[in-house]
Amino acid sequence: MALLAANNLSVALTRGGSAFPAISDLSFQLEPGKILGLVGESGAGKSMIGRTIAQLLPSGFSVTGGTLDFAGEDLVTMAPEKRRRLLGRDIAFIPQEPLSALNPVLTIGQQMREHLARIGKTEPARWREHALAMFAAVHLPHGAELLDKYPHQLSGGMCQRVLIAMAFASRPRLLVADEPTTALDVTIQARIVKLIEEMRQHEDTAVVFITHDLRLAAQICDQVLVLYAGRPAEYGPARDVFARPAHPYSRCLQLASPGMGSERRGLFILPERMPGLQAIKTLTGCRFADRCPNVVAQCRTSEPPLAKVDGERVAACIRPEATAAIEPPPAAAHAKVTGETVLEASGVSKDFVTRRRLFRAPATFRAVDKADFVLRENEFVGIVGESGSGKSTLARLVVGLESPSQGRLTLLGRDVTANRTSERAFRREHLQIVFQDPQSALNPRRRVAGIVTQAMEAAGGGTGTERLERARALLDEIGLAPETALRYPSQLSGGQKQRVNIARALCALPRVLVADEIVSGLDVSVQAQLLDLLLRLRQERGFSMLFISHDLSVVRYLCDRVLVMYRGEIVESGPTETVFAAPSHAYTRALLASVPPDDADAAWNRDDGGDLALVERA
Amino acid sequence: MTLAAMPRWLRSGRVLIGLLILLFVVTCALFAPYLAPNDPNEQNLIATLLPPAWADGGDPAFPLGTDSLGRCVLSQLIYGARLALTVALIASFGAMIIGAVLAHVAGYFGGWVDWLIGRIVDIWLSFPPVILSLILMVGLGTGVQNVILAIVLVDWTRFCRVLRSEVIVVTRRDYVAAARLLGFSHWRTVTREIAPATFPLLITLLSLEMGVAVVVEAILSFVGMSVGADIPAWGQMVADARQNIYQAPWNLICPILAIFITVFGFNVLGDGLRRTLDPRLSQTERG
Amino acid sequence: MFATIAKLLARRILVSIPILLLVSMLLFMILRVLPVDPAAMSLPPNATIEEIEAKRVEMGLTLPLPQQYAIWLSQVAHGDFGTSIQLRTSVTRLIGQTLPATIELAVLAMAIASALGIAGGLLLFYLRGTRSETVLDVGSIALLSLPEFLWGLFLILLFGVWFEFLPFTGVLSAGYQKPDITGFLLVDSLITGQFATFWNAVQHLILPAFALGVSFSPPIMRVLRSSLLDVYQDDYIHQARLRGLSERRILIGHALKNAILPTLSLMGVQFGFLFGGTLLIEIIYSYPGMGNLMVDAIRNTDLPIIQAVGLTYCVVVLVISILVDSLYLILNPKLRTR
Repeated sequence: MALLAANNLSVALTRGGSAFPAISDLSFQLEPGKILGLVGESGAGKSMIGRTIAQLLPSGFSVTGGTLDFAGEDLVTMAPEKRRRLLGRDIAFIPQEPLSALNPVLTIGQQMREHLARIGKTEPARWREHALAMFAAVHLPHGAELLDKYPHQLSGGMCQRVLIAMAFASRPRLLVADEPTTALDVTIQARIVKLIEEMRQHEDTAVVFITHDLRLAAQICDQVLVLYAGRPAEYGPARDVFARPAHPYSRCLQLASPGMGSERRGLFILPERMPGLQAIKTLTGCRFADRCPNVVAQCRTSEPPLAKVDGERVAACIRPEATAAIEPPPAAAHAKVTGETVLEASGVSKDFVTRRRLFRAPATFRAVDKADFVLRENEFVGIVGESGSGKSTLARLVVGLESPSQGRLTLLGRDVTANRTSERAFRREHLQIVFQDPQSALNPRRRVAGIVTQAMEAAGGGTGTERLERARALLDEIGLAPETALRYPSQLSGGQKQRVNIARALCALPRVLVADEIVSGLDVSVQAQLLDLLLRLRQERGFSMLFISHDLSVVRYLCDRVLVMYRGEIVESGPTETVFAAPSHAYTRALLASVPPDDADAAWNRDDGGDLALVERA
Repeated sequence: MTLAAMPRWLRSGRVLIGLLILLFVVTCALFAPYLAPNDPNEQNLIATLLPPAWADGGDPAFPLGTDSLGRCVLSQLIYGARLALTVALIASFGAMIIGAVLAHVAGYFGGWVDWLIGRIVDIWLSFPPVILSLILMVGLGTGVQNVILAIVLVDWTRFCRVLRSEVIVVTRRDYVAAARLLGFSHWRTVTREIAPATFPLLITLLSLEMGVAVVVEAILSFVGMSVGADIPAWGQMVADARQNIYQAPWNLICPILAIFITVFGFNVLGDGLRRTLDPRLSQTERG
Repeated sequence: MFATIAKLLARRILVSIPILLLVSMLLFMILRVLPVDPAAMSLPPNATIEEIEAKRVEMGLTLPLPQQYAIWLSQVAHGDFGTSIQLRTSVTRLIGQTLPATIELAVLAMAIASALGIAGGLLLFYLRGTRSETVLDVGSIALLSLPEFLWGLFLILLFGVWFEFLPFTGVLSAGYQKPDITGFLLVDSLITGQFATFWNAVQHLILPAFALGVSFSPPIMRVLRSSLLDVYQDDYIHQARLRGLSERRILIGHALKNAILPTLSLMGVQFGFLFGGTLLIEIIYSYPGMGNLMVDAIRNTDLPIIQAVGLTYCVVVLVISILVDSLYLILNPKLRTR
């Protein structure tokens, strides 16, 4: 018998007397010891399912139909007290943001003790032993010291291990993991996933694994359910779904993310975006029809039901046989690195003062250690590394937001290390930055036209009409409608905001662009659009770029050369293909090993990078 | 104008209540000579401590009765609004200008400037406001200008403290760094990128400060450190009425109510503005 | 843990010393611009110009201002605030007589403000999203709009004049003997076993302390409420629910411990203001504390008293803020651990 079973489950937001469907007709079965992957982009409703299991829906949302049975009892109609007794005992949750999921004013021990006392598996007096045993099970070293620590003294990975220890302390029958690795560094991601698999095997726990990463789901899950706009698009054995997607959306999702396989391929560009709650209500046909490359007239007349495709697989598509025909465009070739050098760093270091001391030199922390690199004309260079590796500091040094403690920075043959006023003007003219978070990078009180032409404003030139003209031209270039010029950032989607962000940097026609994690946090379909935009812009107007990212597959797709940073040092550099095919540094190997392979049947060899001691830092 | 076309802040019930109350007080102040039934300073020694007109022994010529010198309580209240509002408006604007400028300088530039301004605020905070304003009044001498000056010198820290942390939050946003990298001068960055973001908080604080200024003026005139006896002041009325608390409690209640209603108007307006303008609700509370 | 707290506290106290110096300098400067002559004031009205001039030299008023300040400061450092011009007694003794009464009033008022503030904040939070919350919320704005001296007068009218069940002048009714050991009336009457005196003193304290406490409670209420609302948006509250903890346990065990932190830092500032508020309450209730001493001194331009009392207020405010800061340190692990 299935441990968790959804039967035509529907969730809707009720506002102003009308209901907007958030989840429609969801059915699945999860057996003990199995892993079900819920896959989709943001807005697909995957996290809503996690919340429905706990019946902790955001205000206004409620279950409008169907059942969600846990061990034969419907969680929706169950008495709240009874359901609460299940939570934390039989049903455990692992959150997305481990650092903020632990109470900051209580020690790990206090929180562990409270949880162990509630689940009541051990005598209160022996909670310590139980806690330490759990810490050992999740491979947390120095468990006894950990009990007296506060969450802010631990790294994200350690917090997640503590939360996993808590989740498994009650030997739960069901575990819900909502994007448990998204907030963590890639090398740690792989190990957390491994740990969840391990614990699952040990306790025979059923797992609902929520993720946006189809590749990851294919590797670890038994079953996969792909969601689109609140509705299941495809449901079946993980390997089948990944190897031969039946629904065009699954296929597009797969092709939109850059691969790590031997052959570099182009990205499939999905137009527009997923319909929101408002739009879904008025849609009549298939919810994916507007973006589907295989759409036919019939798709728009009625919502296609989930139909059997092969074996145990179902898909909500009337022409699943056509899906395999969807092919990615050919890959844009990497540029030949021959041009003149536009940017050069030699021995650049940056020390930050961590503590000022009386009568002694202040304590410092070296964020970037003797970085050497060159960036040539029309070249895209990727900088990869995990958080704290110094890659963002290096970007800030290059654009002049920080000054180097040592070394020399040369831009177009001119020394700009000292960052004096004249150098600043020179640097501004030829070098611009695109910030990571468009939410923070775009002034919410300015219209788009004002934002993208800020460079003209700074130069003191341009009448209102001139600026509007320039803004329209820029927006056209980055693929936004001209009427966007009069909008405010809050009226744009995440992808559109990031385009505006790029347009602003391009307004002054710089020769070098520094891009700091500009596609992280975006859905793969939006990411693909932006990556292609950058490649197209390079072809049209020509510029060089330093592209900082933690995502290896993106760097591989976009960049001609790559620099690998580890603890402030550039440990490896070279042409992208060479580095990825034959990594020489242990850290690079660890990084590459942590990415799930493209082929679902290939074994995912997740060794911790052999000789390199990757200690999770506190 | 339809309801939907009105700016969001004007649709808040609290803002409307606040504005209505203040409109009433402002009307009293502006048209005091036409509204007041008597000369507020005219003494009527044969009709002292009269109760309100509707009570036993009341005189219709003095709707709210008379004080111990036979002055008309209603007229004094109406004229008292002039002093209260003058002080509230000018003093709070003055405090706002000093506080806001220092807050932006400290929060934007950081470093030693921030440290210095922070320490000055610390020094100010170690004086209880009542004590500091009294000591300043001792030093400055009485008079409307000095009352205003004292309030400005005491209360600029209220703006500085709260705004500084907001400026720091905004300054850390990437769009400020982006503007600098595109070549915006410090002045343009602060005025075009930062100040518009702190403006809602500023307006809210200003409204709350006006209420505080009314109270401080009342306190100063209550202890006789505000203006001369010939200018009607609510605090002065409270102090006078205290002497006859048993015979004429009405004399005490009237000015208390006047102060309360005016301050309530400013506070309700400020709260309404805070709710509609301030994205992070809790901010201003910590002022 | 205690070592770190002690270290941080020591630093905090060290920082307040220069602040106190600057405060005293500020006080000294403000009062020196006064157009009055302390020398003339301390002599009989029929004193000759020469006598006044001699007195000026004797009092050190002819010296340069920085030097005058230095002399005054070194006296203060030895606990000597000079002699009152009007009362002709040691200012140090005057403060010693009045400070305990003021502290007693302030401490009681702080207790009342905290109790009302925390209870009100919890109530406002508990009623979030309901109609009664709006009523209570506007009610708290109304409370906020009645400053302490008006509360004082209002309570006198209500309980002193109309219902006549509480006294509202002084600290003791006629016929009670004031025990004098520590200067703190409540403490002294208890340790000497004079329970009738204790009870009478409590009755005298109720109205002024309540007036002061209630007028400083609304900001505490409102900040606690909004901090709780903020905290309930945090992930760890959601995670605690997912772990199956009861709402009660979440509020007491998790939310309150976080929400109290911003509330506490507001209380630090509020209690400083409250201590200044004792001045008005003391005047209104004819309470023999520092406030009345100060106002009398202002009326008589008695500079030594004004300076000394002003400085004493600042010292107490700094002590309050150090105490609140140390409580904050104990409750917030982020500040004492790295």
